[in-house]
Amino acid sequence: MMPLLKYEIRKTWSTKLMVLGIVAVEELAFLCSLYLMGQNVDNWLMALSTSLLVMTTIGGILFIGISSVVTLHRDMNTKQGYMLYMTPRNSYQILGAKMMENGLSIVLAGAFFFALGTLDITLLFGRMGELGKLWEFVTDILRQINSDLELSAEMMMYLVANALASWLATVSVAYLADIISSALLNGKKFNGILTFVLFILLTALLSWLQRSLVPAGSPFTTLALIDTAVALAYSVVMYVLSALVMEKYLSV
Amino acid sequence: MLKSKDLTKRFGSLVAVDGVTLEMEPGHVYAMLGPNGSGKTTWMKIAAGLMKPTSGTMTFMNEPVGVSSRAQVAYMSTEPYFYAWMTVKDVGQYYADFFRDFSMEKFESNLKTMELEKTMKTKSLSSGMAAKLKIAVTMARDARVYMLDEPFNGIDLLARDEIRACILREATDDKLLILSSHLVEEVEAIADWSVFIRKGKLVEMRDNEEMRQTDHVSVADRYREIYGHMEVQEA
Repeated sequence: MMPLLKYEIRKTWSTKLMVLGIVAVEELAFLCSLYLMGQNVDNWLMALSTSLLVMTTIGGILFIGISSVVTLHRDMNTKQGYMLYMTPRNSYQILGAKMMENGLSIVLAGAFFFALGTLDITLLFGRMGELGKLWEFVTDILRQINSDLELSAEMMMYLVANALASWLATVSVAYLADIISSALLNGKKFNGILTFVLFILLTALLSWLQRSLVPAGSPFTTLALIDTAVALAYSVVMYVLSALVMEKYLSV
Repeated sequence: MLKSKDLTKRFGSLVAVDGVTLEMEPGHVYAMLGPNGSGKTTWMKIAAGLMKPTSGTMTFMNEPVGVSSRAQVAYMSTEPYFYAWMTVKDVGQYYADFFRDFSMEKFESNLKTMELEKTMKTKSLSSGMAAKLKIAVTMARDARVYMLDEPFNGIDLLARDEIRACILREATDDKLLILSSHLVEEVEAIADWSVFIRKGKLVEMRDNEEMRQTDHVSVADRYREIYGHMEVQEA
């Protein structure tokens, strides 16, 4: 499994380096804007760098998942796939390495962005004390909406974990849809449309499962935990089905 | 050792391989012959475990081809298949990571013979150089079966001699070599058996020496007999 994982990491390395490079430039701009703060200058850089950092955080994690699906698609539909499928490894190992690489990347990217965000907010609070009052104001509003809601680091972690697990499950659904497209629908009419419909249906099934398995009136933490667990279990089911189809029907 | 029974592969309405039954034994070099689209590559890809047959079976040592056979079968596709980010050295390392029978020393020696540098990027190799690299890395394995699809494609005359020598070094009693090529005279010099395939069907499988002795024809002559009228018909 390790050699497979090693080459999966190598295949997607350039994508991650690109995201890291963009983040580094934006972070530098943010730090410069922090330095300029209070010097009585029009600090447009703060607004720009903060917006870009938020966009890159969301876009970067989405991009990692999408590029993983693109790599799988290439491995099944171009000659480079011979490199992978002529090795003495079965589909469960091949797909397992891909999912492991993708899962690790999403979790590590999520942890990285979460840590960077926490650091930047802390720096910002230190530089501009009034923002601390703004944070309390937002927390008050949330409390009035739902007394259980407490905008804390713990709650943020639940939210991040839930978002990452849901995205991982969505990527797993994309894997299955793409494998069915390449193995069973290849060369058939309406392949693209059927694959897209399958992806939508399986994603909708995940949302329905997440909604229906949470007892009504559950506190936020229970909801987030069940949602995350359902998303992870769904990813495992998608993996097994994908590997099964790949092993039995895929020709490269 | 390698056996296909009633093997058929369809792509929609096209039948690429049509009920092919044949058996190949170690200690021989088989030439798979036939014009473009006759089904040679598809048969090889099924034997390499890259393609699933529509019906019939392909077995290696009496077991269906799959993960375990891939550890003992070295397949070289006619198309370039290395990852674009790889250097020549990366290609060797990749094979070393996945195939226990791969020898880095043999690979380095093959590279020297083929005049390839380890630092070369695979995406910047000319078609001839890429073909040499495919041979160098495939023949650096100590496999039970070697399947080389069009090994002389895009290779100049002098390099062909090196490749021929490289292939013949592995032609031992315990190994099976299968070559496909359009260059009939080229493979006739290496192979001792010929497999003639036409429109997906097996026409015949002949011992070259026996063919020369009994029919008084060379492989190239037999090729012309089998496919000549077909080309006239198609024209």
